[in-house]
Amino acid sequence: MDARRFVNEGRPATAAACIRGIAYAFASAHRSVRELAASGSLESDAATLEAFGFDRVHVAVEETPYDLAHAAAARLLDEQRTDPTTVDLIVYAGTPSAMAFAAASDAVAGAASLCTADRFRYPATRLQHELGLEGAAVLALDQLACTTLFGAIRVARAMMAGEGIERALCVASEFYPAQAGREAVYNCTSDAACALLLDASDDADARNRIVGSTTISKGYYWDPEAMREEVIASYFPTAVHAMHRALDDAGWRPEDVDWVIPHNVSTRSWEVLLRLARLPNAKLWAHNIPRRGHTLSGDNFINLRDAIDAGDVRPGHRALLFAYGYGAHWTALAVEA
Amino acid sequence: MQTSSLHANLDTAHADGIVLVTGATGLLGGDLVRRWTTSAAPHRIAVLVRDLGRWDATAGRLAVPHDAVVALEGDVTREGLGLTRVARTWLAQRATAVVHLAADTTFSRPLDQARLVNRDGTAHLLALAADCPRVARVAYVSTAFVAGRRTGVIPESAEGAATEQIGWVNAYERSKAEAEALVRDARRDWVILRSSTIACDDTSGVVTQRNAVHQALRLFHDGLAAMIPGVPDSVLDVVPTDYVADAIARLALRRDLDGTTVQLCAGAGAMPLGELLDECYARWATDVSWRRRRIAPPSQGDLETWDMFAQAVEETAHPRLRRVTRALAHFLPQLALPKRFDTQHADALLGAGAPVVSEYWGRMIDHLQQTGWRGVPGLAEVAA
Repeated sequence: MDARRFVNEGRPATAAACIRGIAYAFASAHRSVRELAASGSLESDAATLEAFGFDRVHVAVEETPYDLAHAAAARLLDEQRTDPTTVDLIVYAGTPSAMAFAAASDAVAGAASLCTADRFRYPATRLQHELGLEGAAVLALDQLACTTLFGAIRVARAMMAGEGIERALCVASEFYPAQAGREAVYNCTSDAACALLLDASDDADARNRIVGSTTISKGYYWDPEAMREEVIASYFPTAVHAMHRALDDAGWRPEDVDWVIPHNVSTRSWEVLLRLARLPNAKLWAHNIPRRGHTLSGDNFINLRDAIDAGDVRPGHRALLFAYGYGAHWTALAVEA
Repeated sequence: MQTSSLHANLDTAHADGIVLVTGATGLLGGDLVRRWTTSAAPHRIAVLVRDLGRWDATAGRLAVPHDAVVALEGDVTREGLGLTRVARTWLAQRATAVVHLAADTTFSRPLDQARLVNRDGTAHLLALAADCPRVARVAYVSTAFVAGRRTGVIPESAEGAATEQIGWVNAYERSKAEAEALVRDARRDWVILRSSTIACDDTSGVVTQRNAVHQALRLFHDGLAAMIPGVPDSVLDVVPTDYVADAIARLALRRDLDGTTVQLCAGAGAMPLGELLDECYARWATDVSWRRRRIAPPSQGDLETWDMFAQAVEETAHPRLRRVTRALAHFLPQLALPKRFDTQHADALLGAGAPVVSEYWGRMIDHLQQTGWRGVPGLAEVAA
């Protein structure tokens, strides 16, 4: 295997790391799939999306992506009783620049602000300031669609390995502007933010150790709406490939997986994908698909948190997280809970 | 009675018995007529064709000798084959054998349409044969895939065909199985020659006539196939035209084969599905522009998974994807029904088995690629 292929499809980083904590914040308003269909916010009919497992989603009305990001990160630091000054790195992933300060109902104005000097108003630096993370280096990521939070983890682990960073806060926040509808490729979407606290750790007893990962990007699919048939066709085989690569990286066999922690796309597609992936003992933790819908900011980690809180994912369980960034990105993470 | 301009007066051309061939404008039928009319001991042949002009073109392309064949205009879907009374009388006096190749091989036809040609057409032909007292052989060219959803070893006998309880993958298979049953019930002097799917002309890999196999390959090549039904034991059984045509030419009129079913298949020489896909993707990857797209081979899943996938696609509001999946659904599920066609009888009769698929598959893939998939519908045509 040549080096370039290894970078794109191989292990993103070698640093031992664990997910010390996860917190999230959803927009406060709810809408049912039927309400969204009635308001013209869906491409598919409500019955189809209900058959695919969706029932309700969270819709930002007044909240901005930044509001949600701040709420998730503040909750995380509070729950983990983390001294903000011990955070070495913040990686913000999601709605870019001044757009992050616009309410969904005012998204057009938010987008227009990117063409002005307002573009230099950044959510990442504001989070650093408002959360008291003075010691944290600041980075931001974009363009990885629903895998952006995985990208943030990848960067954080790389910096743990390369720069000796010990603690990183990864925050993703995304919303669907009011004009964009609520459906993404037969999936019904919520507005939410998710925050993770990563610790560099060699401790085998640590919870939620990241023991394997992979990320695959296929630039050919950069314009997914123009090549939807190809994009959908590419989803399953590349997803299976990514999941198996993460298992290889973790040194797990397919039968070792206890839980698949999904991104919240159609339950039908998950049924097919799990059969294709041949994980004989794995259970799909899909409770959030009907009640939360799909977020662009970190379904898998929101689900992992809820699965742990529910007592389903227990210490020692092996969880495989898989997500797809619409168009070109497939990523998977093996986590020992 | 109408004849093509190629052919001389019926009576002077065929003073003795003749062989009536249907499907002569098709790939196999045309090749068979060419072989029989250019052999050292040529048979006297009449062909039943719907379009005399098309037969003229076929005969010209295959260099069938002038005056060697009488072309009768007719249609197997019609009572009496649509022949004039004169033509029927003429056949009744002279026909000594009937070789029935005419078929509707489109896998996606609804059952009633598939039956029209394949089952009802055979019934009409058998009725005609019954009116021809000199006919001592009805050779029916069938498909090995009358086996339908059967798995395991498929015998060269009536038991090789699926039943209604077992089921078939498409209406073509079913209608051919029904036709076989009609042939067996109608007379005792039949021989049934079951062909596997035709992949290419010969072991050079050249493809003259495109079919569902090539259609599926093109959709794979273009990155439009998410999954393929298949299990670890899956193989693809295909054969070249020249093997099948040669076999029909040698076996269809052999007197000692009354009541015999022969399978003209790769059998043990079929290609494992995994190897076959690897070969395809390796060949395609020699094209740099294709390789840069990084198209993943389709995932393999069992039939239940395929059905779930197809159902999910049906439920989406995406008509182009639905059409692509439907185009594949008429053929691909066979791959998840692992079977090996027994060819012992065929091999013994012919002195050798069919060419081993792996020995020419790569050349066929190259040919399709080099000819720009000419004649094989891509997304635009399939989804139209």
